[in-house]
Amino acid sequence: MQKASIFSRTIVRIPLIIWSLAVLYPIFWMVLGAFKSNAEIYANPWGLPESFSFSNFVDAWSNYNIDASVFNSFIVTGLGATLTLAMAIPTSYALERMRFRGNRLLFTLYISAMMIPMVLGWIPLFFLLMQLNLLDNIFGLSIVYAVSQLPFSIFVLTSFMATIPKSLEEAAAIDGMSPYGILWKIITPLSTTGIITVTIMNMIQFWNEYFMALIFLQSEENYTLALAIDYISNETQYTNAWGTLFASLVIAIVPVIVLYAIFQRRIVKGMTEGAIKG
Amino acid sequence: MVQSKRQRNLFLAFCLVPTFLLFAVFTLYPLFNGLYYSFFKWSGASSLAEFVGFDNYRRLFSDDIIPSTIWHDYFLVITKVFGIMILSTFFAVALTQMKIKEAPFYRIVFFFPNIMSVVVIGILWMFIYNPSLGLVNSGLELIGLESWTRPWLGSEDWALPSLVLPSVWAGIGLFMLMLMGGISNISKSYYEAAEIDGATEWQQFWKVTLPLIWPQIKISILYIIITTLNGSFIIVQVMTKGGPNNSTHVMGSYLYEQAFVKYNFGYGATIGVMILILSLVTVLIMQFLMRREKVEY
Repeated sequence: MQKASIFSRTIVRIPLIIWSLAVLYPIFWMVLGAFKSNAEIYANPWGLPESFSFSNFVDAWSNYNIDASVFNSFIVTGLGATLTLAMAIPTSYALERMRFRGNRLLFTLYISAMMIPMVLGWIPLFFLLMQLNLLDNIFGLSIVYAVSQLPFSIFVLTSFMATIPKSLEEAAAIDGMSPYGILWKIITPLSTTGIITVTIMNMIQFWNEYFMALIFLQSEENYTLALAIDYISNETQYTNAWGTLFASLVIAIVPVIVLYAIFQRRIVKGMTEGAIKG
Repeated sequence: MVQSKRQRNLFLAFCLVPTFLLFAVFTLYPLFNGLYYSFFKWSGASSLAEFVGFDNYRRLFSDDIIPSTIWHDYFLVITKVFGIMILSTFFAVALTQMKIKEAPFYRIVFFFPNIMSVVVIGILWMFIYNPSLGLVNSGLELIGLESWTRPWLGSEDWALPSLVLPSVWAGIGLFMLMLMGGISNISKSYYEAAEIDGATEWQQFWKVTLPLIWPQIKISILYIIITTLNGSFIIVQVMTKGGPNNSTHVMGSYLYEQAFVKYNFGYGATIGVMILILSLVTVLIMQFLMRREKVEY
């Protein structure tokens, strides 16, 4: 038995190593490609760069509007995540802790929205935003983003709040604290872990999002990073400026890598739990 | 609790009403309005919406491209379910049962593509498939298979299958971790008992591991189906925009083209209704097919 295990362990390592290479190799060369000149990319696309040059980053940053789109993406990500919390925390508390008629129904309504293909709603949403003067507007997009992540956030926050002991709220109520005070001073601080998980997940989602931005934003100065990169990618078919494209991809991926490095466990937990809801 | 009913209701309203209003306006209303639009011929200018009854639905059934978009979506569903489930089950078992020292490394690496933007994944793979510079063709040349090289994304036959690999590549990590969660909950005593009975590792996998992680497998399959039917158009839009010659159009990318490129908003909404119905029906059928008594030993 033991001998067989050592043998099969070696065999099993081969596919594991191959898959690791399949994941890391393209990402690794994308980063290296960002530092290569176009001539070098053509001569030796998958080799090491001869010298590290930042000219691709400069080109992407100043000639392809990446600076403005990074700014827009930060706004959308920050505002979207904040709005989601402002909506989700009070509702999650009420759904989890307060008894009222329709509680189950409302919870089910929010949760089932996670399974509905939103693409049908995007056509009317387009015209709604137009009427509200929020089309081609990063604040409008932030609101749409925030509402789109509401079901997931409520799902995670309610299950988290269920673990907070009720006695703390009861004691505070006896001391004369208002329900608003209990929500703000007791429940919210005790839910920090859940709130952080939800916020990181939402931020990654908003930072990466592409399709809603494609529909709801039109002018270049409002582009988020995903749209700006897509724009460069379409240009690359004619300009062949792969280096610039790679540089913009690296700019898009660095914040995600940083978040992943810091919050790896939380992100993994948030995503697997978010998937299990179905 | 010293709290009047009025105060309680006021607090309840404070918690629920603003959120629900925004949810209703930005999620519920658009969905129902989408259903409503599907009965109109409409190019965007609000005064020109013309009620056409079921005309859009008739058009849907006579549109030659629609059946191929449905087929493309289900092709992606089937290939992704098999590709992702086989690989992630294998990796999950390997990383939990084989006592591999560097398992955390694989876990971290395999999961990373799950949090990359579809735009980044799509563009990265467009470069991998690039006919002259890409890794696939240069790899084939390297091992002497020049005849297999082709413009992967530019070929009507190969463009759609080429979209499967990036999706599997990006999806493995999440499902592997979900299955690993299931496997680590299986009590060691089952394996010890199986070993005493002389079961091989292969038999242990089929008789112990697989039945006991069935709930996780079922959730994973449903999740792949839902996310593919509701979101496959994103990678299509980034990598091929439905081309060449409509050979990669899925339902969502065709909706986008009809509504937001050709301004047939009514018809686009009809395609949206079709996506909604197909994805709900598929999930219900799969839930029925995969129902299975919970296994307890």
